[in-house]
Amino acid sequence: MIAPMARVRLMGPRDLLTGTLHVIQDAGVLHLTPSTPVASLHPVRLGPREARLLTRLKAMHQDLSTVLEASGVPPPISAPVGGSAASATELARWARTGQRLRRELEQLGATRRRLEDERAELVRFEQFGAAFQRLRSGVATTAVLHSYQLVLRAGDRHAAESLRQGLAAVLGEHFVLETATLDSGETAALLLVPPAEQARVERILVGAGIHELSIPASLGPTDPANVGAALASRRRAVDTELAELESRRAEIRREHGPDLRQAVMAVADQRLELVARQQAVESRLSFVLEGWVPVRLVGAIRDALQHSDLGETVVLEEVAREEWSAEDAPVVLQNPRLFRPFEVITAMMPLPRYGSIDPTPFVAVFFPMFFGLILGDVGYGLVLAGISALLHWRSRSGSTLRAVARVGGACAAFAIGFGLLFGEFLGDLGRRWFGMPHPLLDREESLLPFLALTVAIGTVHVTLGLVLGIVNAVRGHPRQALGRGLALLMLAGIGVVLLAATRVLPEAFFTPAVIVLLVLFPVLVVIEGIIAPIELLSTISNILSYARIMALGTASVMMAVVANQLVGALGGAVIGVVFGLLFHMVNFALGVFAPTIHGLRLHYVEFFGKFYSPGGMRYAPFTHWRPNHPTAT
Amino acid sequence: MDIVWITFAAALAVGLPALATAWAQSRIGPAVAASLAEKPELSTTAILLLAIPETMAILGFVVAVLIMLRSGG
Repeated sequence: MIAPMARVRLMGPRDLLTGTLHVIQDAGVLHLTPSTPVASLHPVRLGPREARLLTRLKAMHQDLSTVLEASGVPPPISAPVGGSAASATELARWARTGQRLRRELEQLGATRRRLEDERAELVRFEQFGAAFQRLRSGVATTAVLHSYQLVLRAGDRHAAESLRQGLAAVLGEHFVLETATLDSGETAALLLVPPAEQARVERILVGAGIHELSIPASLGPTDPANVGAALASRRRAVDTELAELESRRAEIRREHGPDLRQAVMAVADQRLELVARQQAVESRLSFVLEGWVPVRLVGAIRDALQHSDLGETVVLEEVAREEWSAEDAPVVLQNPRLFRPFEVITAMMPLPRYGSIDPTPFVAVFFPMFFGLILGDVGYGLVLAGISALLHWRSRSGSTLRAVARVGGACAAFAIGFGLLFGEFLGDLGRRWFGMPHPLLDREESLLPFLALTVAIGTVHVTLGLVLGIVNAVRGHPRQALGRGLALLMLAGIGVVLLAATRVLPEAFFTPAVIVLLVLFPVLVVIEGIIAPIELLSTISNILSYARIMALGTASVMMAVVANQLVGALGGAVIGVVFGLLFHMVNFALGVFAPTIHGLRLHYVEFFGKFYSPGGMRYAPFTHWRPNHPTAT
Repeated sequence: MDIVWITFAAALAVGLPALATAWAQSRIGPAVAASLAEKPELSTTAILLLAIPETMAILGFVVAVLIMLRSGG
């Protein structure tokens, strides 16, 4: 459900505004909203000094965050309750430290990138050098030939062959070309030609865009005979410089880490407070601050004010319900512990509007049910339960992963439950090994009863959606509610007509139901407009869409049966068992993925479409800064 | 001979909607991928858009099953 909210107003002497903001920031439950200006009260405008401070705090926060990230200091989790207000001296010191360290770390970063590039170039040159040495040792060269050490780009497999053909066309057989492919994918090509042909060969190389291997610029002018020694020496120097850079980073971390963490919290908090201050209105003597808080937490703010030194001076009052509109209130989803994990499914859609219906409790019942109907296998359900338990064990309390693990657990429970009802354990193994009965139906054989079951569940689900739509609309849009009610009646009428026509119900129901439909139809068109019949048809197709549960469920059980048949069908028993298990693994992966996607779709399109009213504002209380705080970036 | 035509009809009933679904998803997929590159928060909408055409294949499958069952296949 959506937690009932209260709009509260805090009033007090103007000079206590800062103190009040500190108290409510510590309480961390008030979602501030621009206060309503009245004749004698005007919105708080920051003075030139405060505006400059806000700009400076923003720059400081950027500096400090960059320094934290670049030096590898883990960000603070949250500021300590009780405020972390900093003195002007501390702010000035942090500003200087932040600027200095940011400049230094940016320089260190640039140097490190340059050195790493250089090191990569040296390594590459070294690899080419070794390759050319190997190629030379394999060629019976003579001193009279001129040699080229060529680099052929990676990704062009025919480059060497094209070059060979180009050279052969000009030089005939008077050249030697040996190649070796390196790990990088590039090719080292050693070319030996008569000195008289140098000019022609170089034209061919330029035309083909092939370059000679050049000595890295960082080695400077080097005698080719001493390249190996120069290379090793330079690599050692680069490694030493890189180690020194890392050591300096570690030193910054050690020396400034705790101070930087405190600084970033204090600066961000002070900045948040200045931003929050602008939500208030004030007169020459007093201030008024307004915000939203869940009704159950109004007492928390009152207690916080009582226990602070503001005492009775700052007054808290609840704004009367008639004075505020539901559209302005932020939304907090508040569900029982059992349903709470399913808020992750609702949260994938935009939040529902305040005052509308939170679908989480319905999702918590129907989503795992659809999942279980599709997977419906004790064996797969047990595997899923194991995975969910593992996820639960490895996740932090309150994290999304923990919620996903719990949803997975519920889905596994339903899969096991329906598996027992369908008599399935890894397909038909349960029946073959343990003689498992199928108290509800046999999904391999009873396709039509399974189809009827899924369409019946679809009818219940869509009807529930329509009823919730009526409940949602009845307050603000009575005409829409009436239209939806008529659509629901017509849907029931169509159901009766179909059941009477197929003799599931007595035939006597047929004619009255048709008459009711003929009467209701024009009324529906008058109330809802010409779109109403189309929506009615769309609702019928929504119900039929639940047939996917039967289709996917049948596919899942058939795949499992095929996996079991592989055991006997493929040569030896061991090969059959291996392939059978592999097939079961694939089926399990599909059996988890497909029900999730289709379960979500049935909820978002078929169910939510009947009543869901998106557009709610997220509840974001004014609190202390923490990493990824939306207002601190 | 009848069983050949019945099987063929069932295959068409599921095959043609499956092709239509594939075509629809081949058009939706790139558009959705491009949207997600710019707005990752649209992932729920992306799942919905991709899942919507699957109804055709699923209803085709149901019709194929009905054809097979009604004809005693």
